[in-house]
Amino acid sequence: MQVLGRIVPWIPALIPAALVAAVIWELLLSSGLSLRFYPWPPVFHPPQSFGWEFFGSRWNPAQNQWGIMVFIVGSFLTAVPALFLSLFIGLGIAIASTAYLPKVMTQFLDPFVDLLAGIPSVVYGIWAFIVVAPYFGHVVNPWVYDHFSVIPGFGGTPPSELGTGLPIGIFVLTIMALPITTLLIRDALQSLPKDLWESGLALGATRWEVMRRVAIPHSTRGILSAALLGFGRAFSETVALAMVLNIQSGYPVNFYHGTATLATWMFTNLDSAYGNSSWLAALSEMALVLLAISLTVNLLGRRLVSSFIAYEIAGL
Amino acid sequence: MATSTPTGSVLPRDEVLFDRSLRTRWRLGFDRWIGWLLPLLFLVAIVPIVDLVYFVVRAAYPVLSWGNLTNTQPYANQNGNAVGLALIGTFDLMAIATAVAVLLGLFGGIATAEFLSERSAGWVRTSVNMLAGTPSVVVGYFGYFAFVLYFGWGLSLIAGALTLSFFMVPYIFRTVDLAYTSIPRPIREAALGSGARPYQYILKVGTPIAFPQVLTGVFLAMAIGLGETAPIVLTTLPSLLVPSSLNSGVTFLTYLIYDGFNHPSTGPGSNELAKAFEAAFLVMMIVIALNVVVRVFAARYKKRLEGLYQ
Repeated sequence: MQVLGRIVPWIPALIPAALVAAVIWELLLSSGLSLRFYPWPPVFHPPQSFGWEFFGSRWNPAQNQWGIMVFIVGSFLTAVPALFLSLFIGLGIAIASTAYLPKVMTQFLDPFVDLLAGIPSVVYGIWAFIVVAPYFGHVVNPWVYDHFSVIPGFGGTPPSELGTGLPIGIFVLTIMALPITTLLIRDALQSLPKDLWESGLALGATRWEVMRRVAIPHSTRGILSAALLGFGRAFSETVALAMVLNIQSGYPVNFYHGTATLATWMFTNLDSAYGNSSWLAALSEMALVLLAISLTVNLLGRRLVSSFIAYEIAGL
Repeated sequence: MATSTPTGSVLPRDEVLFDRSLRTRWRLGFDRWIGWLLPLLFLVAIVPIVDLVYFVVRAAYPVLSWGNLTNTQPYANQNGNAVGLALIGTFDLMAIATAVAVLLGLFGGIATAEFLSERSAGWVRTSVNMLAGTPSVVVGYFGYFAFVLYFGWGLSLIAGALTLSFFMVPYIFRTVDLAYTSIPRPIREAALGSGARPYQYILKVGTPIAFPQVLTGVFLAMAIGLGETAPIVLTTLPSLLVPSSLNSGVTFLTYLIYDGFNHPSTGPGSNELAKAFEAAFLVMMIVIALNVVVRVFAARYKKRLEGLYQ
């Protein structure tokens, strides 16, 4: 009875772990890895295991080439700039609302940032495609092209009028990662003990100096976790990006060109893969790569989270 | 008063009280300017959200009508932008997914909070975070491979609902766990000390206290589930009929939005893009409403909840 009482609670408690394990198990079974590591037949009988070719740069189903490096590069090309933008904007907003704005104004302004977290990604996608993309196509991209084409990667093929491609992808990801970075950094900054804050001011430091020398060093962990979780969000974003990225299976030729990330390529390719077991196996191996990267980033980020706010952010 | 400020001070007043050096002026000026400039960054968040809401409302306004919301015919009439089918489909999917997720998350959360040691609970919480951190398209792939192909259910209501529940489990699990963990220790000790069995404590003492918060978690999970698109697109097929069985096709609101983007105008006498706007309006309103409820509730409990799930 004693033993039973100790074992029974574990059954429901292990459900989340079991679900994660099921996802990984199923994807392993349906990927080319199954041929290599498992003695029993896999789900789709992939005709080959891909080996290291899988991390090559050629993706061409017609010639049986399955290299996903293009999409890994595409993922980082969109997620990293978006992360830095949203991190700095988030830091600015957090500093403004902690140190500079009166409480009446922050009570009015902060909910807007919270609201950004709640909007479904497909709504972002259709808004960006219909409203923002023409602006990028007619104004932003031509302007950047005219003024910065000297920089390698910013010249070459002129941008299309449609406006879809890398820049708007980065824009959408920035907006989508912004609530996460802002809320986490704000929470970290606000957790600075009031004594430290006031003694800094009493010593004659300005608000900016207390912020720069005391509050920000004090909340390094929070900022780092914001970076990691924001990156996780940007890296695994699917639908909104698929709508604005002008999906291509090659490396982008310049800044304005379309590209594909791991998630968007998986999302838009499942239809065409139906019935082709190599293709399905390659896609599920891609899913494993995406899962590995985003789980690592997410878990690291959560280890660092200094407080409980993460639970309140929708989608985290 | 006689002892107030001396009139004949040795130094000029300015030099005693105010440091007018260039460095100090720079420090103070920088502080003032940055205080004006940084709040402008709020515009980066406010402009998109206002523009987005304005865009969706404006686009949905001409087609939004009671007739369209309740009409379950796919291509009902000449200007028919009926989303009734999608509303019913969304209700079906969300009902099954929520039921499954509550079933999976509720007991796990209670067990973690009440019966596991601190150390074991930490590991369980990490696994919950892992589930929450799994990218939606990966879960969609799992649903497609496992439910649609391996179990042979096809692109169907049940496959979509079970896949959707994967996204809701971690949120319900977390809030339930937190709700029970954050019940003040004296209450728990009083109950157990006066001879209650653990299950009696949970049913009669813990649950009444934790219930509002559990409900908050369910709302949050529903908001998350409603916003998901990729897994639904991968595991369901929109149907032209009201779903009649677990294996029949079903239309989700977010699917309509993605479909409207993909095929802007298909079908006789119906404009898919208009439907997409209608669906976007509905989804956004429901999700925002759920989020507002969650935030109002959560603000009350926040103080009690610091420090778990690190």
